[in-house]
Amino acid sequence: MTKYVFVESPFMTPGELALRAYEVSEGVLIKETCFGLQVTGAPEAVDHLITEIRTFDPNHIFIKDRGFPPGDPRRCRANLGGARPGYLGHEREFRLLRYITRGLEALERGEAVPEAAREKIRGLDIQRLQELIDEES
Amino acid sequence: MSQKVRIAQLSCGPEYSGVQKEIYDAAEAVGAEIFFPDIALADVERAVEGFGLDVRSADLKLMIARGMALVDGKVDADGVFIGTCFRCAEAAIVRNELRRYIPGHSKLPVVSYSFTERTTSGTLLTRMEALTTIARRRALLAREEQTGITMGVDSGSSTTKAVVMKDNEIAGTGWHPTTEVLKSADSAVSDALEMAGVTREDLQAIGTTGYGRFLVGKHLEADLIQEELTVNSKGAVYLADHQHGTSTVIDIGGMDNKAISVIDGIPGTFTMGGICAGASGRFLEMTAKRLGVDITELGPLAMKGLGRNVPMNSYCIVFGTQSLVNALAAGSSREDVAAAACHSVAEQVFEQQLQEIDIKEPVIMVGGTSLIEGLVYAMGQLLQTEVVVPPHSQYIGAVGSALLASGFVKGE
Amino acid sequence: MAKVFIYPATSLILSDLVARFNHKPLGAALGIRERIQTAGIDSPPLQITPEEPKRGLKYAAVEVPSGVRGRMAIYGPLIEEAEAAVIVTDADLAFGCMGCARTDELILFSLRQSGIPILELKYPTSDEEGIRFVAAIKKFLTGLPDGGEA
Repeated sequence: MTKYVFVESPFMTPGELALRAYEVSEGVLIKETCFGLQVTGAPEAVDHLITEIRTFDPNHIFIKDRGFPPGDPRRCRANLGGARPGYLGHEREFRLLRYITRGLEALERGEAVPEAAREKIRGLDIQRLQELIDEES
Repeated sequence: MSQKVRIAQLSCGPEYSGVQKEIYDAAEAVGAEIFFPDIALADVERAVEGFGLDVRSADLKLMIARGMALVDGKVDADGVFIGTCFRCAEAAIVRNELRRYIPGHSKLPVVSYSFTERTTSGTLLTRMEALTTIARRRALLAREEQTGITMGVDSGSSTTKAVVMKDNEIAGTGWHPTTEVLKSADSAVSDALEMAGVTREDLQAIGTTGYGRFLVGKHLEADLIQEELTVNSKGAVYLADHQHGTSTVIDIGGMDNKAISVIDGIPGTFTMGGICAGASGRFLEMTAKRLGVDITELGPLAMKGLGRNVPMNSYCIVFGTQSLVNALAAGSSREDVAAAACHSVAEQVFEQQLQEIDIKEPVIMVGGTSLIEGLVYAMGQLLQTEVVVPPHSQYIGAVGSALLASGFVKGE
Repeated sequence: MAKVFIYPATSLILSDLVARFNHKPLGAALGIRERIQTAGIDSPPLQITPEEPKRGLKYAAVEVPSGVRGRMAIYGPLIEEAEAAVIVTDADLAFGCMGCARTDELILFSLRQSGIPILELKYPTSDEEGIRFVAAIKKFLTGLPDGGEA
């Protein structure tokens, strides 16, 4: 089983994350990537490692399942000539992680959840429209 | 081993249709490799806006972005394969627009295909081969004159043709129905040799094309074994004496049809269709049989009739035959039925294939069916142009092969 | 622990939050993992063979493109297995397994038809929306049967 570990943190680089993960890896294969890690091994071992990794920086580390093991020739960028389509999807969500982090922090601190501003988009008043038409003509 | 031809794949759906391996296999069989142009998310966002085609599917957006990266020269490729799922309207729009856009803004040869889960590497092979030939063998395809004594053999699905050429002239021809591939080829070859008054030993180079090209090529120890898309393009513009500039080549074959947009004798965009026999020469053969005339008499017969008097419009040979039988039973004249059959085939090709390429004049019709004047007339009517049928048009593949094979004549 | 289908099925954010709040995310990776680990099949990259679009006939008719049916062969069983779903409705740039809009429409429809509890929301575009996003998901997941803090 393989899982992605993404880190988007001011406190930890992917490199530092990898170093700390190695210390607790216990036979799980760790591959460092530009966004974090890929960890591969027996499901229980991977889950155990993931629980450990999450504690390093809970609000800045994100985990996702991966179908392929790292470097699988069927999916590896080196063989395809370009990134697999999923990479771009990660890029899309990576930009939003800071908002998720903020949400997790708020949850941790027990902050009140702000009410969503009820935006009502009203059509232009018909009389105002008439005025605008008159002004233009 | 020469370097592999790099084909950029722009696609939506092949991995999920279970046919990605077929694409890989077809490419590998012709010494090419498939790759996916590497771009970033920002490129996709820019491309969606820049191209101006606002589709919903993200993989189609990715296709557009990759296509633009190729045109902009950010990614290098020798050719482009565009593939989307058959029956997907959204994808068909993107596929068509990219097929127009890429050759319009770059020199990259493009082949496009809509696949189903039944698509095999065999189906894709001829298209891939044409793509790699255009990319790799521009020098070979630049040939405009035949030299020495060469022979071309076109082993087609219905007939096998052979042509011997000498000093830029056709010296001998042979034509046999394809029964056993090698026997038919041998018969056509010996007829052509006899007519030309030369022997096998006199031949300086041999080229083969058509469905049986590999088998026949091996048998004859051919110097050039080449798919029919590039060969026919070359043969058509050679015979029509229109080697420079743009033209459109239409070949309605026994099993499938080719429509090729040609620039300076080299295929630009092309389509090959062969799903339904109602749009092929086979249907005309059946019609002739049902009308009790030889296939050579069908054309003149059709010219005397009015197609619009008989309702006939099906890409399926079974339904087409039903219409034919019904019309005759209802008292329609043989002339009208013949004309309707010609019109029906022309219309299927027009609707299903010619919409996929840019029609540029002159329109050159080749292959055995180009001798059926009723069919040529119907096509001309549909396209609103005078269709050119060059001399020896039924030998198109053999002539193209003989012409290109002269690139292998010693001392050349 | 409830099985929660995530949409987009390739989402890092949803996969993380569902697992973080002690449920099992059902996403594309599970379907792909199952296939690529099947021995004896040679259909790279995803080991989806032409048989899969045929299996997809259970979810979409034969006139539906093969890519939709092939994708549905992955997602159909996961949707059937799901006990709840979290859906992001403005996931316009999810590629590959989620790259076909027609499949995506069918997945959403199937989920809504299934009668399981569903949370629908949009991607956050600000800190405030981020707080609401995470809170809503946490609340939804906590309310599921067998849910709650571990």
